[in-house]
Amino acid sequence: MSGKTSATTGQGDWGYQRYFQRHLLTGTVFLLILGWSVVDLGISPQLFLSGLPHFFNLVREMFPPNWEVLASGKVLWSVLETLSMAFVGTFLGAILSFLLALFAANNLALSKMVRETARGIMAAERALPTLVLILLLVVMIGLGPFSGMICIAIGSVGSLGKLFAEAIETVDPKPIESLESVGANKIQVIRFAVLPQVLPSLIANTLYRFDINLRVALFLGVVGGGGIGFDLHLAMSLFKYADALAITAVIFIMVWLAEKISDYLRKMVIGREVLQ
Amino acid sequence: MVGVLKRYKRVFLPVVILTLLLWGGSVICQVEPAVLITGVPQGLDLLRQMFPPAWSAFPELVGPALETVQIALVGTVFGALLSLIISLFAASNLNPNRKGREIARGICSAERALPDLIVVLFFVAIVGLGPFPGVMALAVSSIGMLGKLFADAIEEIDPKPLESLAAVGATKAQIIRYAVLPQVLPSLIANTLYRFDVNIRMSIFIGVVGAGGIGFELLMAMRLLEFQTALSAIITILMLILLCEKLSDALRKSILGQEVLR
Repeated sequence: MSGKTSATTGQGDWGYQRYFQRHLLTGTVFLLILGWSVVDLGISPQLFLSGLPHFFNLVREMFPPNWEVLASGKVLWSVLETLSMAFVGTFLGAILSFLLALFAANNLALSKMVRETARGIMAAERALPTLVLILLLVVMIGLGPFSGMICIAIGSVGSLGKLFAEAIETVDPKPIESLESVGANKIQVIRFAVLPQVLPSLIANTLYRFDINLRVALFLGVVGGGGIGFDLHLAMSLFKYADALAITAVIFIMVWLAEKISDYLRKMVIGREVLQ
Repeated sequence: MVGVLKRYKRVFLPVVILTLLLWGGSVICQVEPAVLITGVPQGLDLLRQMFPPAWSAFPELVGPALETVQIALVGTVFGALLSLIISLFAASNLNPNRKGREIARGICSAERALPDLIVVLFFVAIVGLGPFPGVMALAVSSIGMLGKLFADAIEEIDPKPLESLAAVGATKAQIIRYAVLPQVLPSLIANTLYRFDVNIRMSIFIGVVGAGGIGFELLMAMRLLEFQTALSAIITILMLILLCEKLSDALRKSILGQEVLR
């Protein structure tokens, strides 16, 4: 760790030289790619400056926010749609993930084949972008919040399944062994040895995923999932900026409240043991 | 029986509430389990129409795919630079002014609370369609996470070099350059690479809202019912994500594996 003080003992520049030599090629290639990207995308300070008047225009048109859009109840219904999409989707996703995690965990797995398959499914899901998933589901199921809900359920499997499997793998093995030694079957082992140990972490991770999924649900509205994301996109496309600002405020409050509630529940759950 | 009831008394109320919420949510989402069953043949039909992928579409998809990567790359770099500037003001060992620190931290947490969709739509409204709003949206939506991580990294550094430099009268810029950056650069780059992985996915999605790129091509192919072209776009997207993740993994390993900028 002498390196950390070398800057003050006069070796700093030598260290820089060595560093630059080692990363000269990577750095140069990176800067070239970056420069080419900036030029190729046509990004320039002028573009930025020419956006400024638009920005002030936008702000002028947005204020005051048109609160009347909230009066019709349509926006409130959309909020409920988005919330339900995220909530039911996360719940379904958590159940799917738990089932997959049982097959993927080292200490419960039936065979290596089954384990690798379960892990493969999760890894494949993690690589699959949400956009691809929702566009396919919209064709299969149709437009509307139901597609969005299924998309969120499937989209949670990759990350939740992995977290669940890791939680199951780190349980204390003694209860499992004792139950097995008295002849308990697999389901009894899971119910009485595994579940009590992992449930708090499962619930906490699911609540965390809900926060993410609520934001995903907003995006899904744009491509046909319905909900408040769609309303915002529509208002923006129709240049109804005062409406858009009111909807933005509603979204902000919704996300903030949902996060507070899930924070509160998470603290409550982690603070104590569940289902003993 | 009484024992069972006693044991489950504590979970009874949460389970009832959960069931009610799930039921209400399913009603609002118009859940029809039957649709799932009819969806299966429709899904198989869709797959049949998708195969084989339209090989001739691949050359035309290279351009949009590159654009998506470029948007993610430039957006992430801009975002990292913005975050670095904010984090210098947010770190308690660099900024003695408590008010200023709270403002900088406040900007980060406000941005984290702001859904990315709002950021994207606002930039599209301000600068119009095209890659530029995409770049700006990615840059701004990165500062919530990166600004916080950068500031935390700066606060955790060894204070000795900082104090010695300050003691010999170094300016703020010199302190940052010789005492702070050498210590935090590896973690900065690693976190930025991680954010790049997030941003490449977002870059694909925001194509739909008007930023162009491969996400837009996929949307168009699906809308026009050109399912073979859509499969080509999906394959391109998957390859793009895998390649970018492998690349950023390799870079992260090569950077975290050694001390940088001593």
